[in-house]
Amino acid sequence: MRHAFVIARREIESYFVSPIAYAVMTVFTFVSGLFFSNMLVHYVRQAAMADAQIQRLGRSDLQLDVPTVVLAQFFQNEAFLLVLAIPLLTMGLVADERRKGTIELLLTSPVRGIEIVGGKFLGAFALLAMLLLPMVPMFAFMGAGGSWEAGVIASGLLGLLLLGAAQIALGLFVSSLCESLLVSAIGTYGLIVTLQFIDTTGAAGDSIWVRLLGSLSFYARHLNSTRGVVSIPDIVYFASHVAMGLFLAQRAVDALRYKRS
Amino acid sequence: MICLSHLTKRYGAFTAVDDLSIDVREGEVLGLLGPNGAGKTTTIRMVTGFLPPSKGRVTVAGFDLYDHPIQAKQKIGYLPEQPPLHAEMTVHRYLAFVAALKDVPAGRTKAAVRLAIERAGITEVAGKRITTLSKGYRQRVGLAQAIVHEPPVLVLDEPTSSLDPQQRAEVRQLILDLKGRHTVILSTHILPEVSEVADRVVIISRGKVMAVDTPGNLAGRLRARDAVRLEIGAPAGADTVSPGRVREALAALPGALGIRVDIDAAGTITARIESEVGVDLRAAAAAMVTGRGWQLLGLSGEPLSLEDVFLALTRTDDERGG
Repeated sequence: MRHAFVIARREIESYFVSPIAYAVMTVFTFVSGLFFSNMLVHYVRQAAMADAQIQRLGRSDLQLDVPTVVLAQFFQNEAFLLVLAIPLLTMGLVADERRKGTIELLLTSPVRGIEIVGGKFLGAFALLAMLLLPMVPMFAFMGAGGSWEAGVIASGLLGLLLLGAAQIALGLFVSSLCESLLVSAIGTYGLIVTLQFIDTTGAAGDSIWVRLLGSLSFYARHLNSTRGVVSIPDIVYFASHVAMGLFLAQRAVDALRYKRS
Repeated sequence: MICLSHLTKRYGAFTAVDDLSIDVREGEVLGLLGPNGAGKTTTIRMVTGFLPPSKGRVTVAGFDLYDHPIQAKQKIGYLPEQPPLHAEMTVHRYLAFVAALKDVPAGRTKAAVRLAIERAGITEVAGKRITTLSKGYRQRVGLAQAIVHEPPVLVLDEPTSSLDPQQRAEVRQLILDLKGRHTVILSTHILPEVSEVADRVVIISRGKVMAVDTPGNLAGRLRARDAVRLEIGAPAGADTVSPGRVREALAALPGALGIRVDIDAAGTITARIESEVGVDLRAAAAAMVTGRGWQLLGLSGEPLSLEDVFLALTRTDDERGG
């Protein structure tokens, strides 16, 4: 297990000297801020309209439901941003080591395959946590304004971490199949965009296939967490994606020994 | 210390390494010599556990590499042909990373890194990022990462092949300094390098072992005759030098067997004198040339190149086969 932490630490260090990680963090934070201020402006407008209606009519039909309307929309937007950001963070995890030949160091060290991919996963997951960190002051700002929905915020952040973890594990697997960073990123986009948007709620009929595909959708699974619902099946669902991604990645890394490189 | 038995690696129909068996004794430096594509790197990758063999076994310090890969790999320090460096790290941080990977206890990491830096002679660049280092220094950092956990076995794949002559000599000296502390397997295609550092040499070609012996014996076995090469010039105005006269004079030397004389456009005469192995004609030839009043422009014992060794080996092989 010590090896996994050693590898994770090196991974984090290398993120912080990599222009890719800085670019991803900058753009992610900027766009998150944009989403956040849109959300606030939307909420303030709704509140002003409701005020006006109450003054004029004595009542308002507008739902000023911060948890389910405003925050939910924000967290769904963030999930979409993660789909864009994660492949850029995972594309190099193993592919870069293969390209530079440093994989030879890992595979000839007394380290197990699962420790290698576990370490890589932990490193990328730590970066994901850092990516979400700038949201804390945003929510603190919101809390200062009086509408502090701590429960929804916590479940929303947990949901993003779970979704991101599943995406990282799958990205790690794709990365261990590739030697080119670009191919690795494109493959990961293909995989996680598909999983994110297999959403069959609009599909006609209710066949087993529609339900099966619908149950695979990241989007549908992530939805609960954006509304303040922490559901065990959802956690299990994302955790099993992490387990599967790590397992496949470990198989792929072990299989590298059988290739001619 | 390292035991390779019937090691074979096939890629489809192509056999890269064919039934290779060698025992490397403790403290020994074994040179793996062969031209590019002979199967040196494949052999080394099987010894370090990077590639699984199609057939055969490798045992390192008593641990089978495939039954006990973790224990066996702890005993090996490995410098691949291309050093596996993380260019964005500082030398110091990189070596600490490798030490942790190789199971150096956390409390000893600092001392182990310091010692490796000292032994590899990279103290002055220890704080620098690897990306800023020259090729020679990078190779030394690669050597430092191979020895940081003080492994009993050291495996070096073409450690000097991409270096300039100065760096090459330095790295060779480093390897000589490591001799005695580790059992070493070293691959190269440069014969003088092997004769300088190795106790025993394995010559491989097309995946097969052609010969295993000490460098001295190997050279002696392959060399039927010693040779001396002379360059002779005429003093201005003298007409006493001609190929015929040189040949006649050299033939009179005791021990001279075969003589070949050429003359180039500038009038310089080159002569090659062959003798029995162990008979050194250089002094006698020089005395003779100067005694005649000729100018001695050059004199050398003819070096035996890897090419010669190789040609000789494949020739005897063909003769045996045919």
